[in-house]
Amino acid sequence: MKRRQFLQYAALSGTSTFLAPFVRSAEPRKLRTALIGSGWWGKNILKEALASGRCLPVALADVDANALEIAADQVQDLSGHKPKLYRDYRELLAKEKPDVVIIATPDHWHALNTIEALKAGAHVFVEKPTGHTVNESRAMLKAAVESGRVVQVGLHRRIGPHHVSGMKFLKSGAVGDVGMVRLFAHSPGDGPEKPAPNEKAPDGMDWDFWCGPAPLRPFSKKLHPGGWRNTLDFANGTLGDWGVHWLDQVLWWSGEQYPKRIFCAGGRPVLGGAVLNDKEQTSDAPDHQVATYEFEKFTCIWEHRRFAGNDTEKHKIGSYYYGTKGVLHIGWKDGWTFYPTTKGGKMEHEDSQLQEPDGHNIQILWADFLEAIDGRKKPVASIELAHRSSVLPLLGMISWRTGRSIQWDAAKEQIIGDPAANALLSRPYRGPWVYPSV
Amino acid sequence: MILRRSLCLLALANAAVCAHAADWPNFRGPTRNGISVEKGWRTTWPGDMPVAWKAEVGLGFSSVVVSEGRAATAGYADGKDGVFCFDAASGAVLWTHRYPAELGDKFYEGGTTGTPTFEGSRLYWLSRWGNLMCLEAATGRVVWEKNIAQETGAPIPTWGYTGAPLVHGDLLVLNVGDAGTAVEKATGRLVWKSEAKDAGYSTPFPLGNLAMFGNAKSYVAVNMQTGAEAWRFRWLTEYGVNAADPVLAGGDVFISSGYGKGGARLKLQGTQPPEEVWKTKALRTQLNAAVFHEGYLYGVDGDTTQKSPLKCIDFATGEEKWSESGFGSGGLVIVDGNLVALSGMGEVMIAPASPSGFKTSARTQVFGPKSWTAPVFANGLLYCRNGRGELVVLNLK
Repeated sequence: MKRRQFLQYAALSGTSTFLAPFVRSAEPRKLRTALIGSGWWGKNILKEALASGRCLPVALADVDANALEIAADQVQDLSGHKPKLYRDYRELLAKEKPDVVIIATPDHWHALNTIEALKAGAHVFVEKPTGHTVNESRAMLKAAVESGRVVQVGLHRRIGPHHVSGMKFLKSGAVGDVGMVRLFAHSPGDGPEKPAPNEKAPDGMDWDFWCGPAPLRPFSKKLHPGGWRNTLDFANGTLGDWGVHWLDQVLWWSGEQYPKRIFCAGGRPVLGGAVLNDKEQTSDAPDHQVATYEFEKFTCIWEHRRFAGNDTEKHKIGSYYYGTKGVLHIGWKDGWTFYPTTKGGKMEHEDSQLQEPDGHNIQILWADFLEAIDGRKKPVASIELAHRSSVLPLLGMISWRTGRSIQWDAAKEQIIGDPAANALLSRPYRGPWVYPSV
Repeated sequence: MILRRSLCLLALANAAVCAHAADWPNFRGPTRNGISVEKGWRTTWPGDMPVAWKAEVGLGFSSVVVSEGRAATAGYADGKDGVFCFDAASGAVLWTHRYPAELGDKFYEGGTTGTPTFEGSRLYWLSRWGNLMCLEAATGRVVWEKNIAQETGAPIPTWGYTGAPLVHGDLLVLNVGDAGTAVEKATGRLVWKSEAKDAGYSTPFPLGNLAMFGNAKSYVAVNMQTGAEAWRFRWLTEYGVNAADPVLAGGDVFISSGYGKGGARLKLQGTQPPEEVWKTKALRTQLNAAVFHEGYLYGVDGDTTQKSPLKCIDFATGEEKWSESGFGSGGLVIVDGNLVALSGMGEVMIAPASPSGFKTSARTQVFGPKSWTAPVFANGLLYCRNGRGELVVLNLK
């Protein structure tokens, strides 16, 4: 019996006993949801998916059997549903055909995971930054457009309440004409960095698979859990991890889509030279960086330090928008604050409204994702926007690596007149993995 | 000094005779369960908190140990770990032993995490980084030292070695490697070791000839003389953080971990693997183990990232009796039937240990957060330390 016929018969019969089961089945079918990368952050996102009441956790994939087991336990506690477990995300996608896939692997995996998930017909929620290199991000965008599926990127600051209200305040003209923006993240820290020994990967972990398309480094606790953010084979240091959030805000505010010119300096004077040999290794991301992004109508500076973070400056993380009427700080846990420069100007402030303990707004970003899947709107952190935002830290890293300023042709997505820098828009993949085509 | 020692020997027969009868020479106290039976101290005080002395010991979460008039702990500052020894009565610094070390600020402020162990005229210390040393308790002179991680090839777990050395006869038993390591306490000579896999973060707990402790994926029990493994109970916790010591109650033991894991009561069966009696999500001790008193467990349920409640659960069933919200990741000891608790925000609270509720007789803000270290009670003095390294000693005599 076709669904429509059934509905007619049901309506005609008019008995409550007959209607009852139908009413239940009329509730929207739950979205079959899978998670690739079941570590700390992946589980945070999946918890929001479960909390939405619209997602059924059908499967988890991780190269670490222990991480899978722990995540499966938690999912079962939260949902009463036992997800299927996979080491290989490709097998998960082929067998489970999920409606929605959450991708929370390290950056070097985002592109392959996302493209495969889109090919399998899933809507994708992928962590920021989109790609580890620029052309991966382009390939993700292309795959998303071709698939017609929704891709939401984990830039939760696009929807976080104090960011939304801070942006409204900024766009209202209350800060005056803004000529310069400074973005920053500072933390206390020590140096020099002591190498950690290379170790056998923990039992149950497929370390070769974890490295995937990136070079096969020896396992070390410097890399896992979490430390890969500061190892450039797998991520792009603080600029890639934190910078993308704040650079994204600058594009949101300004409406400009790209900077004309980028120059980035930095290094490891405090942490010391990077070490990688057959016995031990350190991280290799810069301990500080200053990147200048020259836009049409303003200049934007990114600055991070992994040392000397204290209360000298009022805020340790976030953005300062410098306008003729004052300075607006949009931060993290400290919300936003306006410091007027004009006589009689009023200081204004709004608290953050974050989900604790990790201080994010994934819950509302997930709700926005579901609305987009329902076809009611475009996702707030769409792949189109997130691609442009993710390119900014990646270009900063290319300038830092080449040691010179670069000019960006956004239409062609090429660095102007600099073949060596353009070569860094991609990178060689370790076989059998193949770099995605743009 | 000699007189005092002999008095202490006599004290075995009559605890009241010895001035240091109520010492706290090792982690979790004289009976390794967070309990002191000391009487004759006050559970309330008028006016300001009765500070005996204060000191700065550097960054970290190491607990305090007290023996024969000395109090020792550890902390990190300026590229070095320090082991500090104070005169327990006056707070005068008797000696400090410092050596180069890393801050190790992995997802927290960094600094020392383990606790030294007093035994007689010696103080033993295992650092996060595997520095293992025997110091003269009186002078801080190094009797012997080595790096046990380098010597055994055991990996250093993500947050370093945290279990305190356990003295067993002539041996020091260490939570290093997959199923422990032992050295001769007189010389540091390696006696046995286990597979080169991640240790957990708990202190070896003696069960007859066995020592029980958490490793990265289970709680294990090994023969302390030989290192032979008796059993292991699979206990998979996020990041391999099995940190809370086993809590012994009768013939059973309570194990528990944070990150949503939960706890379990296990029936011990000697060298045979234990049997699970019940499991609970009501008490998930991430850092400090619970304390058992008259049929109930008292401890912090939850992680450092939350404002975790202090709870009481029934040891017979695992059911929650009460929950005091907003306590944070602090710790507690039980002294003569009283909960002596230090909240994650640095507030001392004293209340009778009772399943009927948490009714404080005294509350004092000792210092600011984060205080993840359980307080220590010895000879009428309450030792409190926070992560920044403020050590505040209250006189409750």
